[in-house]
Amino acid sequence: MVEVRLEGVSKRFGRVVAVDNVSIVFEDGRFTVLLGPSGSGKSTILYLVAGVYKPSSGRIFFGDRDVTNLPPKERNVGLVFQNYALYPHMTVYENIAFPLRLRGEDEAAIDRKVHEVARLLHIEELLDRRPGQLSGGQQQRVALARALVKEPDVLLLDEPLSNLDALLRLTIRGELKKLQQKLGITAIHVTHDQAEAMSMADKIVVIDRGRVQQEGPPLEVYERPRNLFVATFIGSPPANTLPATVEHRDGYPLIRVAGSLYRPGERHAAKIREAGLDRVVVAFRPEHARLAEHPPEGEDLAFEAEVYLVEPLGRENIVTLEAAGMPVKVVTPPEERPSGRLYVVVPRERVLLFEPETGLSLDHL
Amino acid sequence: MPGRPRPGPAFFFLLPALALILVFYVVPLILSVYIGFTPLRDWNLQRLGELSLDNYRRLYHLVLHDPDLRKVVQTTIVFTSVTLAVNVLGGLVLALAMFFMDEWLSLPYRLLWLLPRMTPVAVYSLLWYYFFLPGREGILNSWLMSLGLIDEPRAWGKDPELLPYSAWAILVLVNGFVGVSFGMIVFYSALKSIPREQVIAARIDGASTLQLARHVLIPQIRWHIVYVTVWQLLSLLTTFAHIFLLVEWGTLDRAWGSNWALYVFNTAFLTQDQGFAAAAATVLVAVGVVLGLLALRLMRFREMMVEPKGEL
Amino acid sequence: MALRLRLRRGGPAGEAAGADVETLERRRLNLVLGLAVGLGLAPVLYLYLLLVLSSFSNTMLTSLPLPGSGVELTLRNWEMLFRGQVAPAAGKIYTTRDIVLIILNTLVVALGVTAVVVAASVMAGYAFSRLRFRWRRGLMEFIILLHAFPGVALIIAVYAVYVWSLGPVRELLGRDSLAAYSVFYTVLARASLEIPMSIWLMKGFFDRIPWEVEWSALIDGASRFTVWRRILLPQVKPGIAALAIFAFLAGWEDLIYVRVFLYPQVKTLATFIEESVAGLETAYLPVVAAAGTLYLIPTIVFFIATQRLLLEAMSGGVKG
Repeated sequence: MVEVRLEGVSKRFGRVVAVDNVSIVFEDGRFTVLLGPSGSGKSTILYLVAGVYKPSSGRIFFGDRDVTNLPPKERNVGLVFQNYALYPHMTVYENIAFPLRLRGEDEAAIDRKVHEVARLLHIEELLDRRPGQLSGGQQQRVALARALVKEPDVLLLDEPLSNLDALLRLTIRGELKKLQQKLGITAIHVTHDQAEAMSMADKIVVIDRGRVQQEGPPLEVYERPRNLFVATFIGSPPANTLPATVEHRDGYPLIRVAGSLYRPGERHAAKIREAGLDRVVVAFRPEHARLAEHPPEGEDLAFEAEVYLVEPLGRENIVTLEAAGMPVKVVTPPEERPSGRLYVVVPRERVLLFEPETGLSLDHL
Repeated sequence: MPGRPRPGPAFFFLLPALALILVFYVVPLILSVYIGFTPLRDWNLQRLGELSLDNYRRLYHLVLHDPDLRKVVQTTIVFTSVTLAVNVLGGLVLALAMFFMDEWLSLPYRLLWLLPRMTPVAVYSLLWYYFFLPGREGILNSWLMSLGLIDEPRAWGKDPELLPYSAWAILVLVNGFVGVSFGMIVFYSALKSIPREQVIAARIDGASTLQLARHVLIPQIRWHIVYVTVWQLLSLLTTFAHIFLLVEWGTLDRAWGSNWALYVFNTAFLTQDQGFAAAAATVLVAVGVVLGLLALRLMRFREMMVEPKGEL
Repeated sequence: MALRLRLRRGGPAGEAAGADVETLERRRLNLVLGLAVGLGLAPVLYLYLLLVLSSFSNTMLTSLPLPGSGVELTLRNWEMLFRGQVAPAAGKIYTTRDIVLIILNTLVVALGVTAVVVAASVMAGYAFSRLRFRWRRGLMEFIILLHAFPGVALIIAVYAVYVWSLGPVRELLGRDSLAAYSVFYTVLARASLEIPMSIWLMKGFFDRIPWEVEWSALIDGASRFTVWRRILLPQVKPGIAALAIFAFLAGWEDLIYVRVFLYPQVKTLATFIEESVAGLETAYLPVVAAAGTLYLIPTIVFFIATQRLLLEAMSGGVKG
């Protein structure tokens, strides 16, 4: 097992910059998820680690070993593709045995290892079949077996769950995570599915436009998004964002949002003064807000809004309101059926403030 | 849309093509076999009424006893099989090389290898005529003489000391450069359609370039290989334009340099013995039908004759 | 074998131009493969070069006309070709008019083949792609079988039909029309060789047009023929262009059909070269080289102009 380190890695395809000066540490034995929208460069990062692509600049290390220019063969990684990339003309057994054959291992050892990994993944009864005869989930397991049989130092997963149906995805998500923990292997998993990322990751690295937007444990990324992109990309429904203006009363900055005034805490107030901001973006997660008939006591964020749509999802309702012409979503308990004009109330500690130009959180300024 | 088949518009659109196919394929196909049973000579169509097996008897006799025709038969067998092997294997090697090359290099190469195929027959044959010219002006002679390998210019395709091998070598060379590009193009496009992830997966699994070709790429284009072999066999058996010119221009010995198809052509249009030529051509027609059906099956195997969606 | 555009595959795996991983030593692989493939082809390319250069030389070249080799570069061969002074000694005299006529004849055959092939296969390709009729599938299979079948094996019977047709044509149109008729028949016979493949290619082009386009036009009240002419044809223009180029080159380069069916007085560049090489003394070969170079020009022009189209159509299906 090994730690994988990217130091200032960039990758250009012609004039397109796919990966822009990225430095990431994938810790030894941990499950790291690269999360980002399609075209963000996350898969390119994975392929850089695999050695499919060569960085345009920067270096890649496996532990102390500089692998930047090494071909995949010399990196000992296992890679599971989105479409699995099984060899259609070989049986499942041959597919799994292939990496070992190429290493020139003897038949007895190959046979033992293939059966071992097949047992681990519960595909022993499929060994004589061809990939074309397998279901998506089975192909996925075979691809995983082929990646694991060579006992790789790093397991790379390129959206391996996205071709599976929703139910199977949930099952395999759990199994995959358990398997990784059992083997203690360094895993890098690429996905655009934020729920998948939240549930599997020891660490999430959010990627957009070829750059790292934020990295950290899932909960931290969720609750303390570093910028507006992360706030709106993660979470379902995503965080509400409302443009707001800053008004100064007696030297203290107050924030006017959707017609109401909000008094930020000392720390935020200091940041606003420091940066001389006259506008900010107020954000909060739909599940952190509640609806009230009357304006609340105290200093929580509260503003008036008109109920526009209630979507009952069974476990909860998603209420869309309109506040000063802007849509706001709030998650409420299923028994509530709000209507008319109401107050949206967000506890102070849940209010996120962002600088409008750069999109950076005031906490990270 | 009306679901009932309407023959009207279809007939209108198909008419020109079907008329041409009828006049230039269907009728000649039947007629060709028919003429083989008649003593047609000098295009005297009056003789089309007399039917007999004479032509086939004569053909059988000549194949067994006529030294020239025996040479033609040998040439046909050697030329066809060797060129076939060169074309299929060469095409495969070229396609793999192009596949592993970067695009900026492989595109011009693929085009250049197509050049002999695209060149007019007369010009391409002229190149080789001049290359093998018997005198000192011949390129090959001039090269070999300046290298001191030969003292006197030689007539490469006719020299009794070198026949039949020199004639065969020339035939294979001339047709090989034309034929090899077919396999190259078909194989290359087949290789390109293999998902790229499989190439990457094999590399990650530790495959070298040769192992990648041998274990992952070639097994997946095996049907293309069979298909190209059948197709090339068919065209090699019936090709004669280049050979015709090289024989007519004296580059090649008439007997050792002719294949069956050229023999048929010359018998019909030079010796004017059309009944006999048609009988000899029937062999080609039969082989054409059989191999054509085989090629069709192979194409079906691959393409499944994609039915257009949402037929009106 | 439909002519198909390979769509660029999405995702990072499809982004780079090459198929292989980047971290391998590409340069060495390119070098080794490039040299090997290039060396195989170099002799043939050298022959082309020598032919073209020889047409500007006083003698046939056996090596590059480097300074000091005593080779004199001249336009004399081209002059002789167009002035028509080739080899009175060999008993062959061509006039200026002759070579221009020869080029025109070649063009007429090539353009005729193009017209016939394009018209017939655009119509039939549409029918096979879009219309429902009895035997549709069977007929398509038969045409693909013909595509594989070597049409040239039937040339004796095709000629017999020609001979048979000469009588009625002479009766109807008179003796003087026979030369023109021979051109007409040559064009049809040669075009027929290309028809099966062209129909199949054209069907592939029509297959790619979305059905909705056609449906909406039909619903708007257009007739089938109007839909074909006004809606579909404009969309298959690139296909028609490709087809036309291939048909033109096929007609342009043909030797066998031209030689067999055309009236002996009607020459094309192919038969001109054939006769000149057979009949002239070796000393006049540079003039023939000029004719060959001239003959090669359209091929090279199309070749360069249509590179990718050519490669794609070739992989779609061509006679080997």
